Amino acid sequence: MRHPVTLNKPGETILLMGNEAIVRGALEAGIRIATSYPGTPASEIGNTFAEVAKETGIHFEWSTNEKVAFEVVYGASMCGQRGMVSMKHVGLNVALDIMEMAALRGVKGGLVFVSADDPSQHSSGQEQDQRWLAKQNCIPVLEPSDPQDAKDYTVYAYELSERSKLPAMLRTVTRVSHMRSNVKLGKLQKLDREAKFDFDQFSYVVAGFDKLFYGREREANEKLARVREEFETSPLNKLTMSGKEKVGVIAAGQTYNYVMDSLVKLGAKDRVAILKLGTSNPLPEKLVSRLLKGVEKVLVTEEPDPFVELHVKAIAKDANPKIKIYGRLNGKLPSEGELMPSIVDDSIAEMLEEKVPPNPRASLEAEAKDMIFGRMLTVCAGCPHRSSIHALKRAVKAVKGDIHKVVVNGDIGCYGLAWAPPMSYEDTYFCMGASIGVSQGMSQVGVDTVAWIGDGTFFHAAIPALMNAVQTKTNIKVVVADNGVTAMTGFQPNPQSGKTALGEPTKSISIEAIAKAVGVEHVEVVDAYDLKASEAAFRRMLQEPGVAMVISRRVCATEAIRRMRPSRPIPYSVDENRCIGCKLCLSTFGCPALNFDEEHGKAGIDPTICMGCGVCSQVCAEGCIDRRN
Amino acid sequence: MNITRLVIAGVGGQGTLLATRLIAETAIKQGLNVRIGETYGMAQRGGSVMGHIQIGEAYSPQIRPGDADALLGFELAEATRRGVTYLKQGGLAIVNSKRILPVEVISGMRRYPEEEKLLKLLRQVSGKVAVFDATALAEKAGDSIATNIVMLGALAIADILPFGENDILAAMKESIPARFQELNTKAFQLGAQAFREFK
Repeated sequence: MRHPVTLNKPGETILLMGNEAIVRGALEAGIRIATSYPGTPASEIGNTFAEVAKETGIHFEWSTNEKVAFEVVYGASMCGQRGMVSMKHVGLNVALDIMEMAALRGVKGGLVFVSADDPSQHSSGQEQDQRWLAKQNCIPVLEPSDPQDAKDYTVYAYELSERSKLPAMLRTVTRVSHMRSNVKLGKLQKLDREAKFDFDQFSYVVAGFDKLFYGREREANEKLARVREEFETSPLNKLTMSGKEKVGVIAAGQTYNYVMDSLVKLGAKDRVAILKLGTSNPLPEKLVSRLLKGVEKVLVTEEPDPFVELHVKAIAKDANPKIKIYGRLNGKLPSEGELMPSIVDDSIAEMLEEKVPPNPRASLEAEAKDMIFGRMLTVCAGCPHRSSIHALKRAVKAVKGDIHKVVVNGDIGCYGLAWAPPMSYEDTYFCMGASIGVSQGMSQVGVDTVAWIGDGTFFHAAIPALMNAVQTKTNIKVVVADNGVTAMTGFQPNPQSGKTALGEPTKSISIEAIAKAVGVEHVEVVDAYDLKASEAAFRRMLQEPGVAMVISRRVCATEAIRRMRPSRPIPYSVDENRCIGCKLCLSTFGCPALNFDEEHGKAGIDPTICMGCGVCSQVCAEGCIDRRN
Repeated sequence: MNITRLVIAGVGGQGTLLATRLIAETAIKQGLNVRIGETYGMAQRGGSVMGHIQIGEAYSPQIRPGDADALLGFELAEATRRGVTYLKQGGLAIVNSKRILPVEVISGMRRYPEEEKLLKLLRQVSGKVAVFDATALAEKAGDSIATNIVMLGALAIADILPFGENDILAAMKESIPARFQELNTKAFQLGAQAFREFK
């Protein structure tokens, strides 16, 4: 089945997710190359490119990390080609070095990068507002409010980038990335530009080292000033004002939706002036001033930081010093997190001096909250990580006497859920690859550690840290939880998968070969589903001096089931006659397929969830779990 | 302008996203506007998932508390959790009685609440609560993975959506690979039948 983003029917309206709409926009802009590193909420951008790259004749890759991804697209840009690089917000931290240089040296072919921010941290360890990084680096920022905007703004971003010679940031939030809505399609295009490195603009030899290296900030500032002029009259910013309103709202990006729904609910459409803001950096100062001069109070809605609000305050100093500015800075909106329809209702009502009735469900919700568990996250039924952690605990207990005699430094991926009960065996996790670095500092000051890292993350950022450990002769133990895919974000291939983003065969890069090449002498590979062998391997690792590594290998259970469809795994079951009801399988292993019949005091296995790994049968001390006949 | 608002609640891996998409595809084919907001985070790892569907001129991808015309609850506790917040007074709840145990229950930290207690809470919002084991019906159709289509079949005949069951069936035919067609059609019909019995 063809992906709808390649539908060549301009004018037709189809259903697209925000992330898919961005891909469509890039195809309408005639891009030649796209790169990404998977990360929620950006992942579907790359997934969609991977599906349509062959058909549309563009290059797409899942790069090793975001910095490489950005560099690849910048390389093509210097040769006059349009490209897109997408990542989740924190991915931009990794790509920051090259992003800054691309802004200073300028671009040739349109370079658009997507920072998919995650206000309220639906799937992130932090709530970083990446508009600040754009501000710091003279980069224009476009903020779409919905999938239609996402597509249209993307097309415009390429024109803007080439006109201004700056990279352009398309900044989404989770609610736009994952929103699905009607999108009216434009025309697909192929640019067929000749790929030619622009020596005059980018070569030290031709353009001169001094010209390329010094004084670039001024040039970037001048470029941005021209962008500001363009934004003053851009259709991405829409001011709706009759002149009679006393109250105004500046709604950046997705928050425009909440504001519009609130005005309908409050019946206040003709009493509130609205600036729908699609360009949050640089702000169209004259346009903002017009609104500020016309009203007595203004609310700024945006997510998650008061980025626009702060700049609006600066503009107001000259435009209308008496105006009251409501938002996150004066406490009328929460100072962090995403906004919600009811939050916006309340603040607009307050400005109009009206009241919104309190939530009539509050007591019922409290009762439900009390009655119903929170549903903690955990790794899937049959997940090899659960098994690895189980074996690791046993090994640490055997070697050290107590499982808490080591600090378990986890990393970013599904296996980061090792902290969840009943595994409960992970003390820290920070950012890509950090497990191996922080373990070294602990070790240097005499604290024993285990670094617990996945295969994708190992390739992304861990190799320099591993070399550091070898060179400094630091005593660290590394477990690579190797499930063969980047599972957390949707099973994308990584450098050891042996296939490209498009599914074509390529060289598989071996983790053990890398570890040995950088000087790790003790490297063992073990099957994660074999508890006994895993425990033994972990014991040897813990007893080994210096840097030692165990690669705990087994393909991701969900991926394994995907591969075997339409066949299904053969589930295990509990022999009720022999089960003594000790709950050992539930309380120490806790696979989601396990359950307990309180009435009869017996454990059971849900055959619709069980994926047939059989590890619980190795956990059961009574030997009463076996494969179903 | 009339807006139809639906909340779909479930657990990662139950196929709520596909059900949401099928409803939206059908709406667009009827020339209607649709807005979907999905909250899934890291749902694949056993977390709650929720989809908000609005058909008509809505802006926000989020439905306000107490505004949903119908709730499609793919899992018992999730249905109550979301129903008490989002379902409007007197709205329709279609609930799969299947329980998917969270890690809190499996590891013995919490107990799964009794069905009657959960439903009693939900019924304080609306008496229109249809409960049946959609997962068992999907198994009967051939694969528990078709639970989402069973739920969709029930909703299709509930007079909530601004289009009929044949429109949804047509969208299903277009968006789902042919080899799953028989399974899905059967699941859809079993869902519709289960809802009719409730009426």
